[in-house]
Amino acid sequence: MTTQQKVVFEKVTKLFQRKGEDLEVLRDIDLSVAQGEFVCLLGPSGCGKSTLLNIAGGFERPTSGRVLIDGESVLGPDSRRVFVFQEYGIFPWASVWDNVALGLRQLSKDEQQRIVSQVIELVGLKGFESTYPQELSGGMKQRVEVARALAVDPDVIFMDEPFGALDSLTRLSLRSELIRIWHESGKTILFVTHDVDESIQLAQRIVVFTDRPGCIREIVPVPMEHPRDLGSPEYGQIKNRLYDLLGVSHQV
Amino acid sequence: MNYWPLYVSLMALAVVGTARWQSARQQSVLLPMAISCFLVVLWELACRWTQSRIFPTPGQTWAGLLELIESNRLWGDIAASLFRVTWGFVLAVAVGIPLGLVVGWSTRTFRALNPIIQGLRPISPIAWIPIAILWFGIGDGAGIFLIFLSSFFPITVGTMAAVRNISLVHQRSAMNFGLSGLELFRRVVLPAALPQIITSLRIALGVAWLVIVAAEMVGMDSGLGYLINDARNAGSRYDLVVATMLVIGMIGIVLDLLIRRLERFDEVRWGYATR
Ligand SMILES: Nc1ncnc2c1ncn2[C@@H]1O[C@H](COP(=O)(O)OP(=O)(O)O)[C@@H](O)[C@H]1O
Ligand SMILES: [Mg+2]
Repeated sequence: MTTQQKVVFEKVTKLFQRKGEDLEVLRDIDLSVAQGEFVCLLGPSGCGKSTLLNIAGGFERPTSGRVLIDGESVLGPDSRRVFVFQEYGIFPWASVWDNVALGLRQLSKDEQQRIVSQVIELVGLKGFESTYPQELSGGMKQRVEVARALAVDPDVIFMDEPFGALDSLTRLSLRSELIRIWHESGKTILFVTHDVDESIQLAQRIVVFTDRPGCIREIVPVPMEHPRDLGSPEYGQIKNRLYDLLGVSHQV
Repeated sequence: MNYWPLYVSLMALAVVGTARWQSARQQSVLLPMAISCFLVVLWELACRWTQSRIFPTPGQTWAGLLELIESNRLWGDIAASLFRVTWGFVLAVAVGIPLGLVVGWSTRTFRALNPIIQGLRPISPIAWIPIAILWFGIGDGAGIFLIFLSSFFPITVGTMAAVRNISLVHQRSAMNFGLSGLELFRRVVLPAALPQIITSLRIALGVAWLVIVAAEMVGMDSGLGYLINDARNAGSRYDLVVATMLVIGMIGIVLDLLIRRLERFDEVRWGYATR
């Protein structure tokens, strides 16, 4: 492979202590994500996806193994790699504008103004700058969070089931917007989900996890161009393959 | 025989009976007024049945209230009580909120100081009265000190708890965007804790208003608590006693309404259930 590796997991293992007992959540995760790649981590609830992402984000330490970003070990959170949280991570006490400007504190007022209005436009929240999150719908809150992440122009964006709490229509439209933003910005995106369709719609590669302790069962490439046709036979084949890997039946 | 209780009850009954046709706003004003009218009527009837010579009727209490308002005594005592409560409360806010923020945020400081704070907290401020007088003498100093104590603990403990409740996601957001030091406090810790801090201010002010009256009854020579004691001692003027109690209640309501205005700011409204 000639492309540059951006995020590299090396034998990442994580144990949690629970009531004095070790709970093995992740075992020997080896994974490389290329610069500009969109990768989904797919697996059943509780298999350790969030834990893995938190380790990559620097919020948790692996019990053994390590994560390298641009060849450097991850030791803590860093605004060059931004997290978009499963529950809303934006601040309810700050306006949309102030939330988005959070990571731009060192810049001049003019610069802040320019960047904030640009990303707010990008996520389609123009006109809501002075609104407080409480008055926004779930989908709009998640847009604010994406805008806050984009504002600092990070290399890598970690997204932990960012659309999990939204209704299916909002989810669908936010996915296509995320793809548009990804195409425009060329960021590396690691996206955690337990939703098979979501992973096929978004990712270039899908990393399928086993039940706990989470290991990588298989990495499934999605060789389809965006926008993807959800009715195509190729889509159906990948979906069946993923269901097989996850060990669930195709019929309800 | 005077029949006003009958007329008042009938009017109150009419208000209650037509409640379903009133708007929500009207209900929340008219219904409490109607209930209060019933209570006053009960009070009047109780006085008539027991033929008490000592306990004042509503009419006598009203006359006592007017007498208090006309003599300049009442205003001076209200001012004295409010003065002590204001300063004691302001000092408690100035010390309690920063202390609560720091102790709540830093786990080591929390481990060191929390047991001490929790140990001092159950001591009633009233128990401090002798010490307050010993240190500050009879006067404003002792009152301010006691109010400081009574507000300090609810405010500090409330602020601490608020900080320790800050959601992990918000803490991580702050870390992710590189917030630290004073900026972390200004942008995340304080605003995240503010709704709960305001609730603790409300509780503290309520306690302060309870304590000041007790303190003035025991160890001061002015203020509403002193007025109650004085009215009883100087010729068993129970009409003035009850009138002063009503004044105390009214001022308590006003104080609570004032402090609740803090809950309306955009920066904190998210912290309260909307109902
Ligand atoms: N801080 C923690 N302490 C103990 N156990 C934890 C902790 N965080 C997660 N776990 C456990 O680790 C497992 C994996 O959690 P998580 O990574 O959140 O799974 P997923 O995101 O795939 O649903 C779960 O069983 C969870 O209970
Ligand atoms: Mg998760």
